[in-house]
Amino acid sequence: MSPPPEQTTLTVALVGNPNTGKSTLFGVLVGVHQHVGNYPGVTVEKKTGRMEDAGRRYELVDLPGLYSLAPRSRDEMIAVDILLGRVKDCPPVDAVICIVDAGNLQRNLYLVSQVLELGLPTVVAVNMLDVAKKHGITVDLERLERQLGTPVVAIQANRQIGIARLKALLAETVTSKSREGETPFPEPFEDEVTRLEAFLAEHWGNDRRPLPRYLLRRLLLDVNGYLEGVLFPQRDATLRGRLEAARARLGETDYAVPAVETAARYDWASRVLDGVITQPSQYKTTTSDRIDRLLTHRIWGTLIFALLMVVVFQSVFVWAEPVMGLIDTATEAVGGWVEARMATGALQSLLVDGVIGGVGAILIFLPQILILFLFIAVLEDCGYMARAAFLMDRMMARVGLCGKSFIPMLSSFACAIPGIMAARVIQNERDRLTTILVAPLMTCSARLPVYALLIAAFIPARKYLGGLLNLQGLTLAALYVLGIVTAVVVALVLKKTILRGETPPFLLELPSYKWPSPQIVFYRVVQRGWLFVRCAGTLILAVSIIVWAALYYPHNAEVVEAPYHSRQQQFQARLDRLAVGDHKREEISRQLAQIDRQIAGAYQRQSLLGRLGRLVEPAVRPLGWDWRIGCAVIASFPAREIVVATMGVIYNLGEDLDIESEEGATQLHLKMRSATWDGTDRKVFNVPVALSIMVFFALCAQCAATLAVIRRETGSWCWPAFTFAYMTTLAYLGAMVTYQVGMWIGT
Amino acid sequence: MVDKAISLSDLVAGQSACVSHITGRADHVHRLEEFGVRGGTKIKMFRPGNPCIIRMAGNKVCLRSDDLLRVLVRPV
Repeated sequence: MSPPPEQTTLTVALVGNPNTGKSTLFGVLVGVHQHVGNYPGVTVEKKTGRMEDAGRRYELVDLPGLYSLAPRSRDEMIAVDILLGRVKDCPPVDAVICIVDAGNLQRNLYLVSQVLELGLPTVVAVNMLDVAKKHGITVDLERLERQLGTPVVAIQANRQIGIARLKALLAETVTSKSREGETPFPEPFEDEVTRLEAFLAEHWGNDRRPLPRYLLRRLLLDVNGYLEGVLFPQRDATLRGRLEAARARLGETDYAVPAVETAARYDWASRVLDGVITQPSQYKTTTSDRIDRLLTHRIWGTLIFALLMVVVFQSVFVWAEPVMGLIDTATEAVGGWVEARMATGALQSLLVDGVIGGVGAILIFLPQILILFLFIAVLEDCGYMARAAFLMDRMMARVGLCGKSFIPMLSSFACAIPGIMAARVIQNERDRLTTILVAPLMTCSARLPVYALLIAAFIPARKYLGGLLNLQGLTLAALYVLGIVTAVVVALVLKKTILRGETPPFLLELPSYKWPSPQIVFYRVVQRGWLFVRCAGTLILAVSIIVWAALYYPHNAEVVEAPYHSRQQQFQARLDRLAVGDHKREEISRQLAQIDRQIAGAYQRQSLLGRLGRLVEPAVRPLGWDWRIGCAVIASFPAREIVVATMGVIYNLGEDLDIESEEGATQLHLKMRSATWDGTDRKVFNVPVALSIMVFFALCAQCAATLAVIRRETGSWCWPAFTFAYMTTLAYLGAMVTYQVGMWIGT
Repeated sequence: MVDKAISLSDLVAGQSACVSHITGRADHVHRLEEFGVRGGTKIKMFRPGNPCIIRMAGNKVCLRSDDLLRVLVRPV
């Protein structure tokens, strides 16, 4: 049943400090009707949801958790713009629910004071009174409501207590006439704001809409110039002079900016809280304190953290394996089904190899990605993530990053995509970018098939220290170390060059521990997983199709298949002559299959990609590669692990090759070991060549999905292009040095 | 001795103090104040070092300071 047309939807913004239970309240209010997207043009997460109550329809906007409505970064700017109704495609806000933590009212009221200044109908929801009580803090809510002058309601979001009353108050408030914006600022400051307002009105005339007074105040307070840069992208020297003069005048009084704001707002908060809170003079030791004594301990805490990470990674690989096998089998089955039902030709090949193969290559990593998202969501929601950031901060600070970069980096060992998406928790823009740009250097699970193939084929299984160490294992470990060391160096260089800048103070609240909410965890995993599938899926599909086309065309059947025809017919005729139970049939079928693979190989060689491989051979020769390796590397641009299948195809083994099975692997190993440079007896592969390929894959950015996610998270194609360029350069140089040094040592 | 302001990093675990003032760039100090760390705030050192964890009214905060940003406190 559709609502009557005259009924309008009211927009309500949910505002609050981080760790006040804001996400929980949002979940309780909107239930399953939630939607995650992005604000137009920026990559700040936009969480909205629908709610119906007493015949009214509400659209709830969950703003990012903030300590202050002072725009100094993108998410703070978005929150302010939403509240002021300045965002395109977003309706103006009709009312605000401000959620505050009962245990920390003083600081929470700082934000409330900023919200009240906007003049919007506001309901203040006091959450976690139960936790505050355990700390020995009691709150007189009636008195608070009286002194605050806006409706106050006690809630317990995680137990859905007080929600009906909150909705009733919201309905009441939203219909009341909008309130007068209150200012806690002293008169001299407000005089300067009025002066600025008059100046701008005169300066602009009627060309621009006048700025809300809230933003005028912020312009004066924002000594860093972020807001000025956003509002006036073409720097305005007159305005700058005006602002500086005003700040200088205020500096001569007792009201220097920006200190005047904190002084004024905390004074206001003290007046509002007068007689409202009773708290013990000594902090009570809480359960969280007891847990923290262990978990933030330099030695024990770090040890537990390391153990936890081992468990997480074990689970990621162990739990994901059966599902990955299933997806693999399913992809093959679907491919086979389509193949059997369609006529041989370009369309069949496009669907089977391009579309289904491409989608399969991305879906196969979905289980790992989802499991990692699950762990991250649980650790975030129970409060442990902040402790991990504390423990790792000392180490990360040496690289010029902060502790929050650690989990994204670590996740990247399974897959760079959840790592890059987890970097959202880093507020400092430069740290976040640095983390995103070096995350793909961590050895992800897609590199393992490549390493497994080449190490098994070319690195001798030598044992040291009585079998405790072996050369193959050491090579694998060295490749992991290579990735980490390169990431550290690149991060340092980035922080000293293009991402240089002053680091704001590292501040992190350690919330009280709580049991993770299944609902919040579920939504976070599903929403992030879906974002990944949508964004990476479309791009990887496009790239897979391009690579497929380059490997398929020009498809000249007569020229390619003619040399094999006579042998093929010969075998077929012999096969037809033999009786059904004859043991020779098997041998002849095998020969036929071999010819099919040779034909497939011949197609590859004369394809666009094959020709391209030959074209780039001079460029990859210093790396010790022949055109076939060059070709396989180009083909693996959508996803690294494709290189294994492509090598199999190019070395005439057919793409059904299963690297998991011992037999298939041995076959490919033998084939690769015996491969020679075209027209000579010289072997293509030796240890330096194998090492050179592995070093290349350790450092390169051969993963379209990662690049797509970087594009999504940074909002620009510049950063993925930069990542691809720097990683490919490093990979090329690294591979060249490896090969040349290897050959020099070898001779 | 009690009256003298010392650096936050000089507090030992379990020691209580009162923030005296914060030195550093105006906008960095502002951010700290918005976070609740400001003159007059009663704190208790939970885990000394850099970064350190301090206990404040109702919550715990992890904080890394450097030469450019110093929190000065008076032990109580």
